[in-house]
Amino acid sequence: MRNKPGLERDNDRADTLIVVPAFNEQNNIVGVLREIRNSLPGAGILVVNDCSHDDTATIARTFDGVCVVDLPCNLGIGGAMQTGFKYALTKDYQYVVQIDGDGQHVPSEVGALFEKMQQERCDMVIGSRFLDVDSYRTTWCRRLGIKVFYCLFRALVNTKITDGTSGFRLYNRKSLQLLARFYSSDYPEPDAIVLLKKNGLRVAEVGVAMRQRENGRSSITPIKSPYYMVKVILTILFSCARARR
Amino acid sequence: MLVPVGSFDKIQWLGIIFSLIILLSVIFLVRERLIKEKYSLVWLLIGVFVLVMSVFRGLLEGFSALIGVDYAPSAFFALLIAFAYLLLLNLSVSISGLKAQHKAISQEMGLLRLRVEELEKERAKAEE
Repeated sequence: MRNKPGLERDNDRADTLIVVPAFNEQNNIVGVLREIRNSLPGAGILVVNDCSHDDTATIARTFDGVCVVDLPCNLGIGGAMQTGFKYALTKDYQYVVQIDGDGQHVPSEVGALFEKMQQERCDMVIGSRFLDVDSYRTTWCRRLGIKVFYCLFRALVNTKITDGTSGFRLYNRKSLQLLARFYSSDYPEPDAIVLLKKNGLRVAEVGVAMRQRENGRSSITPIKSPYYMVKVILTILFSCARARR
Repeated sequence: MLVPVGSFDKIQWLGIIFSLIILLSVIFLVRERLIKEKYSLVWLLIGVFVLVMSVFRGLLEGFSALIGVDYAPSAFFALLIAFAYLLLLNLSVSISGLKAQHKAISQEMGLLRLRVEELEKERAKAEE
């Protein structure tokens, strides 16, 4: 049943695994899982609990049919997502969608990701906050940052990417096979773009709506953001310098 | 080369004692399996280097003249810093390797735990 191509069917997504990385998201996880269930009733759901010290895992387990992986140590978003990739491969899923446990990704937008993948015949689709500019209000400072990344991706891997750090993504099996082996821990999203492109896989972007977070705080504060920029740029440059796998 | 034991300077004795302490501790640590042979090599090299340089003073002076350093001890320090640098780089490589292995094991453990839960559930259902 899972081996049927999933792009043709709209509502049943039995060949798709939704991976929800979660670290201390006890206030958000219920809403996220409920929304996924409503928008994508057929898809498998895997919550990767990245060693939370709250009730994230217990709450996620109360959902019937939701699988929960408890990592014994905190691996960060990269390590958590890679766990999901490995699980998807062993369970023969054809597609993986990442939906963060903090509720900023909107499950009803997953359809747009699938549409884009079918149109462009690509191996990974990124849901971008910035492609349709109106949907997301930002400061000039942030716009500058986006521009810098845009130029960097364009120069280095010849791809137009407006939101290289977005985690809201759809992967097909081909890209999963690569990323299950190589997915960095620290800034995996921009790194993955470069890795896939270097290995001849196709990457596309589609504009989606995203939410501002409801509970909890972003890990990036105004003071830290230039530092963050430098680290991400460095990550991108290093992944370009790396050999093909 | 003859070793003029009677004419050692204080600093030479200090160097000899220091290097012997390094060498003996490394040998002890390897013998007790507290460090791996692989990592002991750089330490042993440093120990031997300090020992040889302390015993044969002329070596260091000859070497510093060779690389054009006027003040012999600074050539010695430069070499020691280079050793330390290599050692630290070596450790960073080892730590990165460990980190990658640790990540893979943690992921595998999480997935196996999930598998065990599934199997337990299946068994409980079968027993009913």
